[in-house]
Amino acid sequence: MTLPRIRPATWDRDTGPFFAAAAERRLVYKHCNACGRGNHVPTPSCRFCGSTDTAWREAEGKGTLYTWTTVTHPVHPAYPAPYTVVIVTLEAAPDVRLTGSVPGAPDLAPGQPMEVWFEDLGEGCVLPNWRPA
Amino acid sequence: MARADDYAPFRDRCAIAGIGRTEFSRDSGRSELALATEAARAAMADAGLTADDIDGVVRCQMDHNSASAMTGALALRNVGFSADVAVGGDAPCAMVGVAVAAVLSGQARHVLVYRSLNGRSEGRLGAAIAPRPEAGGHGNYDEFFTPYGLLTAPQSFALLARRHMIEYGTTEEHFGAVAIACREHANRTPHAQMHGKPLDMTQYLASRMISDPLRLFDCCLETDGAAAVIVTTAERAKDLAQPPALIRATAHAPATGMSGGMMFPSITWEEPLKLAPRNVARQLWARAGLGPQDMDVAQIYDCFTISLMLQLEQYGLCGEGESGPFVASGAISADGGSIPVNTDGGNMSGGYIHGLNHIVEGVRQMRGTADVQVKDAETCLVTSGPMGISSAMVLRRAA
Repeated sequence: MTLPRIRPATWDRDTGPFFAAAAERRLVYKHCNACGRGNHVPTPSCRFCGSTDTAWREAEGKGTLYTWTTVTHPVHPAYPAPYTVVIVTLEAAPDVRLTGSVPGAPDLAPGQPMEVWFEDLGEGCVLPNWRPA
Repeated sequence: MARADDYAPFRDRCAIAGIGRTEFSRDSGRSELALATEAARAAMADAGLTADDIDGVVRCQMDHNSASAMTGALALRNVGFSADVAVGGDAPCAMVGVAVAAVLSGQARHVLVYRSLNGRSEGRLGAAIAPRPEAGGHGNYDEFFTPYGLLTAPQSFALLARRHMIEYGTTEEHFGAVAIACREHANRTPHAQMHGKPLDMTQYLASRMISDPLRLFDCCLETDGAAAVIVTTAERAKDLAQPPALIRATAHAPATGMSGGMMFPSITWEEPLKLAPRNVARQLWARAGLGPQDMDVAQIYDCFTISLMLQLEQYGLCGEGESGPFVASGAISADGGSIPVNTDGGNMSGGYIHGLNHIVEGVRQMRGTADVQVKDAETCLVTSGPMGISSAMVLRRAA
């Protein structure tokens, strides 16, 4: 990928801490202290119970493959096909599903173990990404 | 908790009295405003109304033509109500619901509801959502998706399609059965964009993969065109030019455990294979006092084959997880199917007017004037897009 990838906005007050943690090679998600469920995408209050008693919690970078798609029709010069978008269920918080990207068209199976890795996009911007464990 | 009869007061009290649409094409050669006004004038003429009769305007929030632009272009001198309804393809049935609210509250007598887009020649809806170098922020949540290359609607729905295969054993031939059923209806509908272009399973399976498991023919069309309807009371509609299509009920409900953002976050919601239709259906059937077994025909929002299938399940037209075998059995075909779906070809093969086209076809079925007319059809389910806060309605033939 020679062209610059799309970079995530890291300044948003609700979602920025996810990327700030990633810059420190830590994976975090929003946890609800009231009902105990994980929230992703991260919001100021819990989407399951409405409580504002939520906090960022660090998770081990382990998950299982929930679904995926191999993109064969390219639409963006920085993302040449084929590549495979993966959606991973976080082991520590089964309500949390995170996105990753795997090169090419790998053989994948539902539920297979996945592990996080941290992709450095430069200038302090780091993306938590996922690959088969 | 609301009781079902809290909603009974609006059952059958309003009707769609006029419908209009432009040609559906790949390049209209005209502005979206010119298309919108043509469809609106056609709907007014169809109902036997003039510009002076139209006193309400309801716009889809994604339409480039504002209510003011339409009011000016159509020289509507008596507008006393206007509203924008979100979001995109989820909105059309909710737009009718807002028109009903305006009419029954006395804020308007005849409400114009419209959608217009040069969806092929100008802004292609299948294109990448965030071509900018930085994505996300301000609650659109693109920062969690587009940096990874999740960029388009087909890719987003492909994740749902794969999950449906994982959970229920759905096959690519099942997806193909939806595309073929819609195409067969389009081939008997001269207005449909894919009229005269037959599609069989061999051709479907040979079509190129876009984002697996979705192929080219799992994706809807991108269309230049417009559609419009006029909503008024059932009482007034009786005296107008066309047989009224009664609005039995409309519904507008969220997905469970949802968030903001357009489309991509849906895969993180609590029930990605149920989305909003699970809750819209419950509300709709309660408001209508009817159920899926009472429907004679259905127009189901079909941006992709999987979107139509998950709605068949959630509206109760087939069992949970059973949409694959259901469509493969021929159940959604107008030729002897138990519930003919998208009788004009829908978004897949008729034309993509972001779901307002489904309402127009529903009215034609209730009038008995559809090209692929379901014999003696008296009730029609119409749905809008399944993501976000979605909407649906039940139309009924006037006695």
